[in-house]
Amino acid sequence: MHSAVYKVGLHYLSWDISGGNARCIAMLQAFQEVVKDYSTPPENTLNRDMTAQISSYVSFLIECRPLSISMGNAIRFVKNRIAKLPITLSESEAKASLHSDIERFINEKIIGADTVIVEHAVTKIRDGDVLLTYGSSTVIEMILVHAHELGKKFRVFVVDSRPKLQGKLLLRRLIKRGINCTYTHITAISYIMHQVTKVFLGASSVFSNGTVYSRVGTACVAMVANAFRVPVLVCCEAYKFHEKVQLDYSICSNELGDPNAISKVHGREDINYLNGLTNNAKLKFLNLMYDATPSDYISMIITDYGMVPPTSVPVIVREYQKEHLLQSSKIVI
Amino acid sequence: MPDVQSTVVEFVNKLRKRKIEGSQATAKYTVELLRSVISHQRVPHANQAAALIDAVKAVGEQLIAANPVELAVGNVVRRVLHIIREEDLSLTTAAMGGLDLLDASDDDDVDNCKGIGFPAMSAAVVAAAARSTLRPPSLQTLLEGTPESATVPYTSSSGADSESKSKSADKSSLTRKLKHDVIEGVNQLIQEIAGCHEQIAEQAIEHIHQNEVILTLGSSRTVLEFLCAAKEKKRSFRVFVAEGAPRYQGHLLAKELVARGLQTTVITDSAVFAMISRVNMVIIGAHAVMANGGVIGPVGVNMAALAAQKHAVPFVVLAGSHKLCPLYPHNPEVLLNELRSPSELLDFGEFSDCLDFGAGSGSLQVVNPTFDYVPPNLVSLFITDTGGHNPSYMYRLIADYYSADDLVM
Repeated sequence: MHSAVYKVGLHYLSWDISGGNARCIAMLQAFQEVVKDYSTPPENTLNRDMTAQISSYVSFLIECRPLSISMGNAIRFVKNRIAKLPITLSESEAKASLHSDIERFINEKIIGADTVIVEHAVTKIRDGDVLLTYGSSTVIEMILVHAHELGKKFRVFVVDSRPKLQGKLLLRRLIKRGINCTYTHITAISYIMHQVTKVFLGASSVFSNGTVYSRVGTACVAMVANAFRVPVLVCCEAYKFHEKVQLDYSICSNELGDPNAISKVHGREDINYLNGLTNNAKLKFLNLMYDATPSDYISMIITDYGMVPPTSVPVIVREYQKEHLLQSSKIVI
Repeated sequence: MPDVQSTVVEFVNKLRKRKIEGSQATAKYTVELLRSVISHQRVPHANQAAALIDAVKAVGEQLIAANPVELAVGNVVRRVLHIIREEDLSLTTAAMGGLDLLDASDDDDVDNCKGIGFPAMSAAVVAAAARSTLRPPSLQTLLEGTPESATVPYTSSSGADSESKSKSADKSSLTRKLKHDVIEGVNQLIQEIAGCHEQIAEQAIEHIHQNEVILTLGSSRTVLEFLCAAKEKKRSFRVFVAEGAPRYQGHLLAKELVARGLQTTVITDSAVFAMISRVNMVIIGAHAVMANGGVIGPVGVNMAALAAQKHAVPFVVLAGSHKLCPLYPHNPEVLLNELRSPSELLDFGEFSDCLDFGAGSGSLQVVNPTFDYVPPNLVSLFITDTGGHNPSYMYRLIADYYSADDLVM
């Protein structure tokens, strides 16, 4: 077991690293360390042995926390690159090529994609806007900070939900940047939606039928915004798109969080009603991590390929895959 | 009178400080207080109903002003006013019948005439009651401002002193009878409020079926009794309870459900949409039901109603008749809402290191509302103590409980 992979796994376990992009970058950087320290055993080929090693490391990471779809796509990219390595390359050349491929993936598909998304999304923010965002999303934070730096005058509603309360982290960062914020829980979404002019949401993935897979509660926010005729803009990098089609992701492939996080209310002992009841056979706690937002709730998906309606997601998926095939052809040539 | 006045002041203070929690408890206290007011009120010989109405209105306005968001107070005041008007109309009709009997009778045929008069009197009372509830306020009534109670037509008698004395005795007994009847009506209202849980719970067997999954929000005793009644009838079903942050009323309800032996699962508020596709029915208690069929409920309930509509899941509202409110919800999210302390969301001082005023940091507001408004098109069914009703029927139900003259106080 490589120490870099082990370290990343522990970060996943303790939730020090969370979020699709952060986890993906950490995993890819760990793989870069693996590639750097790799040496081919005498009786095996580099392609086959490295693929097997990567697979075992992925199994370990899945044990720490199930993969996000962005990580799954990144792993497929790495394995595809390993399989495509010419046999004629020496070990050091192959390792250097693989290392630079991963580096380019991080810089272009994740960090560069965020920059493009920010440039697109900022054009949708006008003076006097009241924006709403849910939870904590890195790309949404970048959009709001950049709009603020451009001198636009707007307010932000930060909507949060138990038990992770990640919106507080975003709230702290936005206030330090000088952005006027209002904080509330998701139960009050109907109360504040009258004032909102636009909703910006991050996403863990977008499926081929336009369904947005994101942190649990995103569907509620988009649904209430749709009921109040407020446009919903989803910001998602193209490498997170998936050709899968799913109508109701909430039960089939969801991830479960710690059930005891629901029964415990931190910092307020007076309303810890369920304290001491966690062992009751009649009482269960269900802590879902993700939900699926139907495509009819979404006005626009902002991605590094442009701003598209949900119906255009399969086109982007196809273009994304075609781009990789062309690169493979070039390498072969 | 000073005793009643101090009770009123004490109750007003409790309402203003939000010491009484829950619509049913508030309605109970209000109706008992109004019974004391009526009992101690000294009524004149003429226009007894008007005097009672004015006294109840004066106290009612104080109570409503103390807590405008608790609509059960206004509902109960209007119900009591309606009882007074109905009893006055009933007695007026009976008095007319009695006078006719007295005028038409002679000594030999007294018993026969009374026997004949009874069915006519009953029919007249029923017709008058129906007209009273349905009659809109006429322009003449509004302009003149005369009280609705019809005065007894007094004809000067040329009879002997004994006849005048008997009429005076009749009038005195009518006065005492009106107050007595009003207090009896108020007592019935008290029993109705106290027993609305049982009436609603009796209907649980018709709506909850075997192996169903029920989703509920908030902490409502009506919902608790409803679900437990279905459990007692050997219905095996599961209950999903949204936790209702930041007040965690769902935790409270889940604790009580588990104590009664129901299979309960607590979910986060954000997971309502995710779980709604696996739910057979959403059942909530209401804070108030408005004249258009809209519902004021615990915060987060509109989100659940929208999700239920999206997934074609029935959305059922349980409400006692004391929660029916004759007001129309103009801008209900603001006017019929109450903002609670921000410290339930963010601790005091938690963000003080970020909020360095004057140094270019942004401002921070925290929004913590208590109620949500659900429009009537999202509600599938109302279950009240008189049975199940469509939202479009609520205005008619409200017409049965309130007089048109009392809608604006």
